[in-house]
Amino acid sequence: MEFGFANVWRDGWVGAILQGAALTVAVGVLAMLMGLVIGTVFGLIKWRRVPVLEWAVDLYTTVVRGVPELLIIYLLFFSSVEFVTNVARAFGFADLAQGGFAFIVAVVAIGAIASAYATEVIRGALAAIPKGHVEAARALGLPGGRIFRRIIAPQMLRIAVPGLNNVWQTTIKDTALVSVTGLAELMRVSYVGAGSTRHPFIFYVIAAAVYLAITLISQTGFDLAERLLRLRQRG
Amino acid sequence: MWDLIQQSVPRLMSGLIVTVVLTGLSALAGFHLGLGLALMRLSGSRVAAGFAKAYSTLFRGTPLLVQLFLFYYGLGEFAFIRDTPALWWLFSEGSRCAVLALALNTAAYTSEILRGGLMSVPAGVTEAAQACGMSKWLAFRRIVFPLALRQALPAYGNELILIAKGSSLASTITVLEITGHAKRLMSQTYAIFEVFAIAGAIYLLFNLVLTGAVRLLEWRLMRHTRPLTGAGIAAAPAAA
Amino acid sequence: MKLKLFSLLACLALGPTMAAAAGTLAIGTEGEYPPWSMADANGNVTGFDADVGAMLCKKLEMDCRFVVQAFDGLIPALKAKQFDVIISGMSITKKRLEEINFSVGYAELANMVVVPKGSDLADIKDIPTLLEKMAGHKVGVQAGTTHAHFMEKKAPGADLRTYDTLDQMEIDLANGRIDAGFADVSALQDFLKKPDGANFQLVDVNINSSYDDSLGMGIGVGIRKDDTELKGKIDKALCELIADGSIAKSSQKWFGMDISRPCQ
Repeated sequence: MEFGFANVWRDGWVGAILQGAALTVAVGVLAMLMGLVIGTVFGLIKWRRVPVLEWAVDLYTTVVRGVPELLIIYLLFFSSVEFVTNVARAFGFADLAQGGFAFIVAVVAIGAIASAYATEVIRGALAAIPKGHVEAARALGLPGGRIFRRIIAPQMLRIAVPGLNNVWQTTIKDTALVSVTGLAELMRVSYVGAGSTRHPFIFYVIAAAVYLAITLISQTGFDLAERLLRLRQRG
Repeated sequence: MWDLIQQSVPRLMSGLIVTVVLTGLSALAGFHLGLGLALMRLSGSRVAAGFAKAYSTLFRGTPLLVQLFLFYYGLGEFAFIRDTPALWWLFSEGSRCAVLALALNTAAYTSEILRGGLMSVPAGVTEAAQACGMSKWLAFRRIVFPLALRQALPAYGNELILIAKGSSLASTITVLEITGHAKRLMSQTYAIFEVFAIAGAIYLLFNLVLTGAVRLLEWRLMRHTRPLTGAGIAAAPAAA
Repeated sequence: MKLKLFSLLACLALGPTMAAAAGTLAIGTEGEYPPWSMADANGNVTGFDADVGAMLCKKLEMDCRFVVQAFDGLIPALKAKQFDVIISGMSITKKRLEEINFSVGYAELANMVVVPKGSDLADIKDIPTLLEKMAGHKVGVQAGTTHAHFMEKKAPGADLRTYDTLDQMEIDLANGRIDAGFADVSALQDFLKKPDGANFQLVDVNINSSYDDSLGMGIGVGIRKDDTELKGKIDKALCELIADGSIAKSSQKWFGMDISRPCQ
């Protein structure tokens, strides 16, 4: 058995796989950014115990973390098509919505999941900041925005890095699930290649290797970030 | 709407049974495998530790969906698997393949959780047990393992939920569990949002029951700490 | 891909000032259903449906743009205006007509069951016996298709396995995971020609749409319900293409037979 190596080279699948990998990273990074922004807002809401909103955030994280990612993607993809299109159109992005719909839904769905996990990480990190720091800053008369930027955010980030690393690793792996919507990311390309060449083994082995490379490289990046943040703390 | 509920709920419930079985079998097999891997990591043997580490990196570094397709479609490509009855029994059916993939996947995460738990047990405890005349194995079984488990339980509870959620991927290899039924109902009724919302609610309930069960177990295992700390649950730091 | 991302970002920035190219017909298609619709590694679509789309665009004097999408997501996406029409070997069925509209049927194909040579189903000659004997067999179909609906309705005893793509069903047939597959004859003949299909045969029973309406009323172009003007134009163009033999010619090229349907 030759595993179909020849097919992978001959039919241009290498290029397609690399493009798919780039799209996977793009979806992962944008979803993670969305997760960070929403997670910070939600985490602050939970930390400050904002009434009513706090319950809404609790409901959100419970539901999103309790329902399979695949189901969330199906739900958003198949039923929100109309919604997303209308929103995009309202803002004058009709063309974008049409061309990049699968991409948008992918980012929104994966980002929504990342947000729920990031909320918990950030809430935990905020809770770990010594209360005295914030109180001291307030006593000095620093305005709220500056307290957040100069006192809260840097400490929070340092404590949250390992947790956010976990969220990122989960997020990049979750992007494989959006293949069910037809977005030609790494998993989808492998799936199509496996089907059309009839050599699924080699395609899924390659896919696994590329995902592994992405997770290992980003793991190294996070380790580095963690070390740098710790160095700065010491200095 | 009522018609839709009448049509979809019984089918989604029959899917729930499959989801529960997939989750239960995968967790059972995955826990034992994970424990084995954790012990290999801590065994001091470089080969065993290296293998366990590589295993964990491999399975935690790739998406479950890729693993599932690799086992189901990828391995199905090989004649020797199709021609070996025992192997083909395992790989011919989507549901068995799903249990295999889920078990191997969760074993990697479980091994990390249990390793953390095992490392949290102070060496003095083992030494004391051995000083009392317990054999290494007895000390492990009666002293170290229960302590490690107690430490690891909150994180393992999260892992159980990840297994339950991961079992939804079995729908992509023809298994009719909750998500599989939901997809089929979707193309029959086009009531997309309603069907997936009901399915989601069922998963949520299942996961709440799972969480509750783990909390209960935790509460029982932390009996000894209760009079001191008041709330046993809060005393356990979440080891991830 | 980087380029695509950049253009996405550019769209975000320029969105409001950019108007959709006038006269573009966006066509939703599966892209994994040979010989109807095949997308290659670069996303180009070929096949019978690609031809029909191209001929249609020429008649309507519009530019064609193909959007590749999983089959069971085509109708929701059409309704949400992700594209203007569906051309994806989609049968016109009562159920789908509740959701969207269809053009006149432009093609029609019989459906058949494929089994391994020597299967106990292989020599059956009539539909009722075949459906009855399928009970207890693992039968593969593609998710969301008329074939899936027909089997659910007419062969409730069969152990139905649904696949996202026909390719996956064929892989499982070849591996021996399922006992039979149900699809249209063109797709199955395509499978029999591949190395994988060597040990398979068709059961000599034609299951036409006349047998049960869940199998549809021919294959048409899916159009949104409120797009009556577009439907009028497409119907007219399709009837001309059927009448002048263009569709029959393309059908010969892809299927080796004429599957065009007279315009009604």
